[in-house]
Amino acid sequence: MPLIGFEKSVKLLKQYGFPVAKTEMAESLKEAMVFGKKTGFPLVLKVFSPNILHKSDVGGVKTGIKDEKELKKAFEAISKLGKVLIQEEVKGTEMSLGMKKDPAFGPVLMAGLGGIFVEILKDVSFRIAPVTRKEALEMMKSLKAWPVLQGCRGRKGMNVQALADILFKLSELSLKEENIKEIDFNPVMVDEKKAKIVDFKFLA
Amino acid sequence: MNDLSRIFNPKSLAVIGAKPEKGSVGWGLMKNALEGKERRKVFAVNPFRNNVLGEKTFSSVLDVPGRVDLAIVAVPAKSVLKIVSECCRKQTGGIVVISSGFAEIGEKKLQNDISDLAGKNNIPLIGPNCLGIIRPGSGLNASFAPVSPKDGEIAVISQSGALLDSIIDRSLSENYGFSGLVSYGNGAGLGMNDFLDWFGRDQKTKAIVLYLEGIEKGREFLRISKKISMEKPVLVLKAGKTTAGKTAVSTHTGSLAGSYDIYKAAFKQAGLIECETLEEVFDSAKALAWQPRIKNGIAIVTNGGGYGALAADYCTDSGIMISKFNDETKERIKALMAMHPFFSLANPLDILGDAPAERYRAAVACLLDQDDINGLIVMQTPQIMTETEKSAKMIAKAAKKHPRKAIVCVLSGGKLSLPGMKILEMNHIPAYSDPKRAVTAIRNLIK
Repeated sequence: MPLIGFEKSVKLLKQYGFPVAKTEMAESLKEAMVFGKKTGFPLVLKVFSPNILHKSDVGGVKTGIKDEKELKKAFEAISKLGKVLIQEEVKGTEMSLGMKKDPAFGPVLMAGLGGIFVEILKDVSFRIAPVTRKEALEMMKSLKAWPVLQGCRGRKGMNVQALADILFKLSELSLKEENIKEIDFNPVMVDEKKAKIVDFKFLA
Repeated sequence: MNDLSRIFNPKSLAVIGAKPEKGSVGWGLMKNALEGKERRKVFAVNPFRNNVLGEKTFSSVLDVPGRVDLAIVAVPAKSVLKIVSECCRKQTGGIVVISSGFAEIGEKKLQNDISDLAGKNNIPLIGPNCLGIIRPGSGLNASFAPVSPKDGEIAVISQSGALLDSIIDRSLSENYGFSGLVSYGNGAGLGMNDFLDWFGRDQKTKAIVLYLEGIEKGREFLRISKKISMEKPVLVLKAGKTTAGKTAVSTHTGSLAGSYDIYKAAFKQAGLIECETLEEVFDSAKALAWQPRIKNGIAIVTNGGGYGALAADYCTDSGIMISKFNDETKERIKALMAMHPFFSLANPLDILGDAPAERYRAAVACLLDQDDINGLIVMQTPQIMTETEKSAKMIAKAAKKHPRKAIVCVLSGGKLSLPGMKILEMNHIPAYSDPKRAVTAIRNLIK
C-alpha cells in the first residue's frame, strides 16, 4: 500500500478539521530557520519519504531542538534521509488513533495508548465505523489505561472529548474517502486542554 | 429477505441421489426424510436404482408428480448443475446441495454457475458442501445427520456440518432441543445473514447460536445481528481466532487489528454473546431460551457452604452483584429458619444441610419477592436427608410466581441428583453440575 504524500495528507487533515501540530515542509535550512523564528523553540524535525514508514527506526526524528544551532545540525542529518518536516514540539500523553479497512467489515477504528505502549501492551480497542462521539468515548473507556486518561493519583484528567472528536472525524473520513485504506495517527498528544496529532500516515 | 417457511416446512420433498446402500449419504438423507412422511410426501430420485428404503424411485425430479417444495441433492459434483437446472424447471421451493467438490477445493466457477442458475430462477439455494437443514418442530430432517434432534427453542446456524452432528448427539442426553439447525456449507446461495434474519423472526426460536469461521458480508452481518439481538439473544462461537491473516503489515493499526479483534469488536457492537466453548454456548443458550434477561443483582441459596462460596467468588469475578437482603427478607428468613440456631442472614443464603424441599420453596419465594433480587442461583448438594426430586418440584413451583426473574440451579450431576435436574429442566429451569457453569449462564442472562 503506497504512502500518501505530505501535501495530500495535510489537505485531508484540513478538510476534515483534524487538530494537527503546526507542521511544514522545510525545503531548505533557511525555511526551517524562518519557521523556528515564527513558531518558537523547542522544535522537532522529521524525515518524510515514501520509502520510510517508521521514521524513528532510521533515526529520522530529532526532538527537543532548543535553538538555531541545534536546528542546523538536525537539519543536516535529516535532510540526508529525505525531505524534512519541521514541527512545533507538543507535550502530553501519547495516544494512538487509527483506521484500517477490513475486507468484510469495512472501516474499523482503533484507539489505544501511543508510543511504545501500543505495541508492547496492546491496550487497544476497536469499533466498526461509523461511530458517534459517544461511541468513540466508549472505545476510550474500554481501555485498561482509562483511569490514567481520566486522571488519577494527582494527575489531571486528559481531554478525552478531544480524542473522541478525532475518532469521530476519522470515522467520517474513512467512510467517505474510498481510496484511503489505512490511517495512523501516532502519536496524538493529549493533555488536560487539547489533543493534537503529531504524526500521521495515510495509506492508499 | 427470503421467506424460508416453504423450505423449513415443505409439503413435499425429493431426495435426488437417494440410495439403498446403508451408511451412504443418499441413504442417510432418505432415512431422515422418511421420518417426516406422515407430514409430507417424500420422493426418492435415482435413475440407477428401483427402490430406496421401500420407496419406488423416479429417474428424474421432473418425473415426480405434483409440486416439490424442497429438493435435496446428493449427486457427484459434476452432475449437480444438471440436477439444479431440472429443479429450476420443476420450480422447487428450495434446493439443498449436499454434494461437495466446489469452492472448498477451488472449483469456484462450477459453484458460481449453480448459484447463478438458482438465483436467476429465484429459488433459494443452500450449500453446496453442507450437512443440510433440520426443523424438528415440523418433522423435517433434510440432512444426513446420524440421528434426529429433539424439538425445542434453540436455533443453530453453523458454518461446519460435522460440528452439527456433534451438537445433535450431545443434545440427545440433555433436556434442550432445537427450533432449527442449519449447515449452509460454502454458502453459495443463502448464508449466515439470511438464516439469522429468518430465525430472528421465527416465533419458535428463543435463542440463536452461531458457529462462525469467517464471513464475507460483515457489515450486513453487523446490521442484521444488531437488530435481532435487541429482541432475541444471539450467541456466537468463533473459530479461527489465532490465524493472524496478516498481509503486508504497514501501519500500527494494520498490524494490531487482527481479524479476530475485528470480529470481537463487531460481536460487541451487535450485542452478541460470545462464548469460548461448545459447553458454554449450550449452557447459556438453554438459559437464554428458557429464562428472561435480567438486570444485575442476584441471590444465592445453598444447602452447603462450599457451593455458595465458590459461586460467590465466580460472581464477583464476572461482575455479578450479590444483593443485600432487606429487612423484610431478613424477617422472613428468620421465621423460615426458626428451628436453627446456626444460620446467618448473609447472601449466599445457607439453608443448611438438612434443608427439606419445603425450605427450598420458602427460600426461593422470599428471595424472589425482594425487588432488587433479579435472579437466583439455587444450589443443592446431595446429603443424607436431601429430597432431590421434591425440592426440584418445589423450586419450579416457587419460580413460576416470578416469570420476570431468572433462576438457575446447581446440582452435583451424579446419580443422586440427575432426576432432580431433569425435573428442573422440564420446567425450563436450567441445571448445571458445576457452580462455574451456572454463574457463566446467569452472567449471560444479565443485560
